[in-house]
Amino acid sequence: MDIGFSPEETVFREECRDWLHANVPAEKRPLDAADAVDFDKAWQRRLFDAGWAGINWPVDYGGRGLSIVQQVIWLEEYAKAHAPWIGANFVGINHGGPTLILNASEEQKAYHLPRILKGEAIWCQGFSEPGAGSDLAGIKTRGRIEGNELVINGSKIWTSFAHVADWQELVLRTEDGSLRHKGLSWVICDMHAPGITVRPIRKMSGQAEFTEVFYDDVRIPLANVVGGLGNGWKVAMSTLSFERGTGFIADQVKQSQEIEELIATARANGMIRDDRIADQLAQLRAEVAAVRAMTYRNISEVVRTGQPGPEASVIRLFTSELGQRLERMAVILMGEDIIDFAYGDDNAVADYLRGFAATIAGGTAQIQRDIIGERLLGLPKSR
Amino acid sequence: MDLTPNDEQIAFQTATADWCRDHMALEDARARRDGLWAELEAMGWTGLTAPGMDLDHATEALVFAELGRFLAPIGLLSTAVASRWFPDVVDGKVALALTASEPEPLRVLDPAGSGAVLRSEPGGLRLFDLPDAFTDQSGTLHTTPHAPTIDLSTLQSRHEWTSSLWTEDDPAPALHLQLLSAAYAVGCADAARDMAADYAKLREQFDRPIGWFQALKHMCSDMAVRAAAARSQLYYAACALDENAADAAFHVAAAKRLADQAALDNGRTNIQVHGGIGMTDEAAAHLPLKRAHLLQFIAPAAREALLA
Repeated sequence: MDIGFSPEETVFREECRDWLHANVPAEKRPLDAADAVDFDKAWQRRLFDAGWAGINWPVDYGGRGLSIVQQVIWLEEYAKAHAPWIGANFVGINHGGPTLILNASEEQKAYHLPRILKGEAIWCQGFSEPGAGSDLAGIKTRGRIEGNELVINGSKIWTSFAHVADWQELVLRTEDGSLRHKGLSWVICDMHAPGITVRPIRKMSGQAEFTEVFYDDVRIPLANVVGGLGNGWKVAMSTLSFERGTGFIADQVKQSQEIEELIATARANGMIRDDRIADQLAQLRAEVAAVRAMTYRNISEVVRTGQPGPEASVIRLFTSELGQRLERMAVILMGEDIIDFAYGDDNAVADYLRGFAATIAGGTAQIQRDIIGERLLGLPKSR
Repeated sequence: MDLTPNDEQIAFQTATADWCRDHMALEDARARRDGLWAELEAMGWTGLTAPGMDLDHATEALVFAELGRFLAPIGLLSTAVASRWFPDVVDGKVALALTASEPEPLRVLDPAGSGAVLRSEPGGLRLFDLPDAFTDQSGTLHTTPHAPTIDLSTLQSRHEWTSSLWTEDDPAPALHLQLLSAAYAVGCADAARDMAADYAKLREQFDRPIGWFQALKHMCSDMAVRAAAARSQLYYAACALDENAADAAFHVAAAKRLADQAALDNGRTNIQVHGGIGMTDEAAAHLPLKRAHLLQFIAPAAREALLA
């Protein structure tokens, strides 16, 4: 075991650092939604042009075809350089793209993957429904086959970026009367198609990042099904296992910056003299270190065996709950200034309020604990 | 960068676990048999860390986590560390003193049959020439009285301070003890987790295994999370020591802190998962918890080291 990097990896890290140092925009990502999308697209294009988009994506589709370790190095340096959040490109880069790489046809990959990497196409996700949250297999949105088209009716919820998206990774029921995990399909839905209505949902932090999406006789070509009709559950799960493997490295680097800032703040305002505060900060710093150790261990597992180990779900749960503990500490250190929070503010209180999503979105902490109990410890399935 | 054990390390791990299962079962930790130490010596566990062995910290951490899983004798920690840092003087078992301050007598753990006592303090280790039993010039045998500790497998004695050998101005020896005791605690946390998960699969109530119920399942999952975090940090800390990394002291302290917490929290949760039988002396569920309460005082992680 070792925590060092090879000479080639070290050279690669220096290249990342140098480029980021010279190119990270000085201005912050705009708060206004429309401006933010323009900003996200322009930044993604710059990353692509300089060869930093899709570091471990296949070369044939515009990626670099490098190793997962190099991808980790890039993400670490990216966060250290305070480079902007990828924003509206998040779903395409982290969900849609990887799912296409694993499951899509040559035509689908050749069309969509380069557009995702260049920031030309914004993607959103359509998995959850009002009646299918933790119980994702309870999906009711239907796709009726008519000739060479699917006619879609129903609704999806918690869809980020739906109002600006060009495409959606949509899981729906394509077999009449099918139950649970069977009869579902994963399709590429054109968000500009007639019959789609988007309703923004304002979160308790004030931002309207989520939406509800309604489908009223929306027509999508059957050719947009990925991985075959009726295989939607399998295709969707390939995305989720990706997310549980390496999708959270940027968050983890951010956490290691946050804890140092929190300690500096507590030293500056004197609150570190409170033994309970000092002890909690010490604890958080140890936990942040453990997250990196767990991630490195998981990446090593991927390098050795080709896939993340079952402990990837442990990292996911631990990281999300640790993020919330850090956000809670940040507002504790604010003292009574938390009272001044108003909608529109983008500060530690907004982060704290937004952070409740971390243990709900993409599988609640309770579902994660089911997975850990059943897959890691072999306890009997409850569902 | 690779934080998974290589084939050779896995072989070490497996051999250790196999031997422990056959010769040092956790269930027997309430009263270890007299000949155990001699067997440990014969098997080479006590000299594993000696300079000639050339094992890296990562391999040592893996082996000691397995030993810790079976609640191996506390004296193995001090003997292993003393063999590394006082190779010319150590011959045989070395007991472990906790951090009492002069003139309070030393609290010595696992003294039976020991020829010396090791104590860790900030900035170094001390080795006391304190045999557990000796014969004076008139031929009279003096033996130290032994008293129980909360950990049923560990006895203790009290000693006045005597002259000692030092490893001064070198933080590495104390970190070595902290790392290996963190490994013991990681093993202890694993043991409690596995005991709870195994029981939750077997014990039935309401016509199904209790592990079916989310209330119990999630308690077991949290045990797995704590153990995984502590074990990963242990590996990272061992590698940081092997590399002489500037922040090695922080990483070892973080490993010890998380391992102690995992051992204590998993120890408590294990008893709750076992229900009625868990709070009895008859079951073994109390053994990891009691061991965890002892380990937390061995080379504890200082808050200053975590915030440095």
